[in-house]
Amino acid sequence: MSTVDERRPAGAPVRADGPPPRNRVPRPWTDRLLTVVGVLVLAFLFAPIVVVIVYSFNEGRLLIAWDHFGFGSFRALTERPAIRSAVVVSLQVAVLSSLVATLLGTMAGVALARRPGRWTWWFIGLLLLVSVTPEIVDAVSLLPWLVYLGNDAGLSVFNGGIVRLVVGHSLFSTAVVSYIVRARLVGLDESLEEASGDLYAPPGRTFRRITVPLAMPAVLAGFLLSFTLSLDNTIVSAFVQVSGTTPWPVYVLSALRSGLRPEIAAVSTVMLVLTLLALGLVAWVLRRSGDSATDIARTMGGG
Amino acid sequence: MPEAAPAAPPSRLRLPRFALALPAGLWLVVFFVVPIATIVWFSFGYKPGLFGTHANDVLSLERYRETFSSTFFATFRNTLWVGVAGTALCLLVGMPAAYWMAVKAPARRRGLLIALVMVPYWTNFLVRTIGWQVILAPQGWLSGLLQSLHLTSGPLDILYTRTAVLIGVVYNYLPLMILPLFVAFDRVGEPLREASKDLGATRWRTFTRVTLPLARPGIVAGTVLVFIPLMGDYVTATVLGGARGNMVGQLVASQFQTAQNWALGSAMAVVLILVIAVTVGVFAALAWLVGRPLRARHRLVLEEVP
Amino acid sequence: MTSPEQPLRILAHTSAVPRIRRELSRRSLLGLAAVGGAGVLSACGGGGSGSGASNPTAVPTGAPPSQVATGGPLEGSISMYSWGDYDAPEVLEAFTKDKGPKITTDSFGSNEELISKLVAGKGTGGYDIVVPTGAFIPQMVQNGLLAPINKELITNLQHMDPQFLGQAWDPENNYSICKAWGTTGFVYDKTKITRELKTWSDFADAATKEASGKVSVLDDPAEITGIYYWANGIDWNTTDSAQIDAAEKFVVETLAPHVAAFDSYPGGQAIPQGTHWLMQVWNGDARIGIQNSKDPERWQWVLGSPTTELWMDNWAIAAGAPHPEAAHAFIDYVLTPENQLANVDYIGYHTGAKDIEDAAKKAGLDMLDMVFFTPEQIATMKTGEVNDAQQRTVDIWNKAKAAAGA
Repeated sequence: MSTVDERRPAGAPVRADGPPPRNRVPRPWTDRLLTVVGVLVLAFLFAPIVVVIVYSFNEGRLLIAWDHFGFGSFRALTERPAIRSAVVVSLQVAVLSSLVATLLGTMAGVALARRPGRWTWWFIGLLLLVSVTPEIVDAVSLLPWLVYLGNDAGLSVFNGGIVRLVVGHSLFSTAVVSYIVRARLVGLDESLEEASGDLYAPPGRTFRRITVPLAMPAVLAGFLLSFTLSLDNTIVSAFVQVSGTTPWPVYVLSALRSGLRPEIAAVSTVMLVLTLLALGLVAWVLRRSGDSATDIARTMGGG
Repeated sequence: MPEAAPAAPPSRLRLPRFALALPAGLWLVVFFVVPIATIVWFSFGYKPGLFGTHANDVLSLERYRETFSSTFFATFRNTLWVGVAGTALCLLVGMPAAYWMAVKAPARRRGLLIALVMVPYWTNFLVRTIGWQVILAPQGWLSGLLQSLHLTSGPLDILYTRTAVLIGVVYNYLPLMILPLFVAFDRVGEPLREASKDLGATRWRTFTRVTLPLARPGIVAGTVLVFIPLMGDYVTATVLGGARGNMVGQLVASQFQTAQNWALGSAMAVVLILVIAVTVGVFAALAWLVGRPLRARHRLVLEEVP
Repeated sequence: MTSPEQPLRILAHTSAVPRIRRELSRRSLLGLAAVGGAGVLSACGGGGSGSGASNPTAVPTGAPPSQVATGGPLEGSISMYSWGDYDAPEVLEAFTKDKGPKITTDSFGSNEELISKLVAGKGTGGYDIVVPTGAFIPQMVQNGLLAPINKELITNLQHMDPQFLGQAWDPENNYSICKAWGTTGFVYDKTKITRELKTWSDFADAATKEASGKVSVLDDPAEITGIYYWANGIDWNTTDSAQIDAAEKFVVETLAPHVAAFDSYPGGQAIPQGTHWLMQVWNGDARIGIQNSKDPERWQWVLGSPTTELWMDNWAIAAGAPHPEAAHAFIDYVLTPENQLANVDYIGYHTGAKDIEDAAKKAGLDMLDMVFFTPEQIATMKTGEVNDAQQRTVDIWNKAKAAAGA
């Protein structure tokens, strides 16, 4: 059991001073059980990813059929412009659309939790409608509308592939962020905000100094989810993309016709390594500047 | 994100209560409600000829009549099963994991843990699925492991079963459950739980009386975020579950894509949305009814002092 | 708003027709009826969208002059919208090196996606080369989505096997040239199914008996009803409702309860992993799967018989293509024998070139009996079409899925 307790997520620095002892008694069995469950869930999440990493070193014709070990598939990243461009498009769109969704969703979530009224029902109804609509329906209805806006209404910005993809990806994500931010704030003590108001802080400053930091873990979680959902969005993307902006999931799906090659796994591995490096870097920077999820959030939010 | 702050209004000017929700509302109206309204409009039309997809010069409710076929209900039954079982399992798996991350794991690692939950999903959906197939295939890793340990006699036979449907669904929807739960548990805070313990509550009582009720909005958010999109999804359940993961969204997609009958597809989409709304309503009512006696027992009535 | 379905008749000079047609289609967008607008087009074109149902002979639409290549200087780039990973990368690179234009490739996953995109974009999508499947070409031509090919610029057409030119959807190859073609059959696991399966009837029999629950069929409506039609010698493009009823009964009641998966690409995963015992599969996909299986001897490929399908993906040029000269140059370039061979090697499908079988043998490619077929075999293959049975076929497909999922 103790070996499991010792296990650390990759990249977590070893620390001499552990967390302050919270319990006066030795850690009960329930805590250990929870740790085991938590680690098992992480293992479950990473299980297929380990397979993908292994198979990215496959030198065969098909991703799934192991031939022999080699680095050949990684050359695709430099040699195949279509793959590289698909990945770049996906990353750009993921960052932009999650920023849009986080911005809109956070404000909406705060309003839902702090300024409820009769409008709340309408708004929650709208959010539910967004989440329930099957993606294909979004896709077929959004495409003619964007073309109309771009060509006939003269808003040529909507002819850009990146803009179209950002719009398409931001819809569901906005709903997700709103839910999470609302769930964080609703019912949470409002006394801090009231105190700030009583001290004659203008509403803007109260919002920035008090509400945003309170909501920050939810904002970050919402951002992460939006980013992830956008990276995986296939159906809407396939419909709204224009020449030169095929995103990565659409490329992978359409490549099924002639059999997925190990290159696809290699790209995934490289992306994974880069993300883990980025996370490691962030963790390292944060270790030097503060701790606890909320503090981290505050640091990143600049609040 | 400091830019989330709206321009500070001159000190006491009252903005309408929904002012902060206005940008999101407008965004969704322009890019979601307007296009979807056209879908509702199409649903009263028909498919003109072989190569047309929709026309609205003759309006009727015919498409709705066509929607209510036995296929729709048979498929919906399967969808409901996948939706309910998938959501319940996500909650079952996600709750302890989120609780551990938010409460029991060292505070300084929480941010990293939550990021680690998301990292696997930055690998493409199809590629992840292939990863699972390599693990679960009859000649795959798990099968080999189990056989070499003599835990099973024959090759593993789990792909394309209901179990595989659930593995696929839980795997792909878990972050939508864990993140809202994490955020909700995280806000409960150490002092509150300590106080509960100091007042003599046991661990379990603290969890059920303090932590859980305070985390309730997060549980609701997680359940909604998993159940509702899952009911409209038609890809996730089939990737590992094959024919067993047939979902009603597939009917809608097949009308739009293969049959190119946007009129019927639109009617189906409208019905699907309504049916899911009713389902959510029924579940919410059930949850409320079940919770009522509990709430009544623990209610603390504070009378206003005149 | 002009309703798209009421035919609009305009008396105009012949030379003005393309311009009016363009203007009308632009206006129909204003009414948000992007796709319905196509109805206006075809009504003017004289075919009439409803009556053109099973008439694959497309009405040639005069393309605006800018789109017809004349053999002038090549533009600096081309945009190709095709199935993903469907061209040998070295051919694309060599084209840019030899001829100059840079190629941007975008991918779609289904013909319907391609069509929706072109219809909504109405020539503003920026795509030059598109690769639709044959059965969809009449629809695309009628809706004015394709520009005619100037065959004078495609001199390498001489390297094509006439057998794969002049298909029903485009008898003169005015709009399309074969890019790759394939057929449908099935693969079974000889260690699990010990008898010899030879026909679609054998497939159905084994599926309901020893292979029950270990069967996959293609995730495509026409391919599933096709099993019944091909097995019983019925034209798989039938619109006879009695025959469709019989197909429904067979697919939904007899076959579906034994189906474990609707999988269009078992070669990519299910065959190498041995997940199913009996799989309906396209030839090139089966070949890749068997080649990459740990135990290729275990699998037997059977070409569907007595009859089966011939599907064909085609080079075509999108209406409003911004780079028509370069697009023609590219199509001409890929039709040279050496580039055709490179593509056969890369994608594992016949590209329709003459004498390519010998070249492929010389180049040492294996399992060629799953790529090239004898004239007698080819005579049993028939191309599909999109006709009035489409809606019924999709309904059968959905019912089959419901029955298999129960």
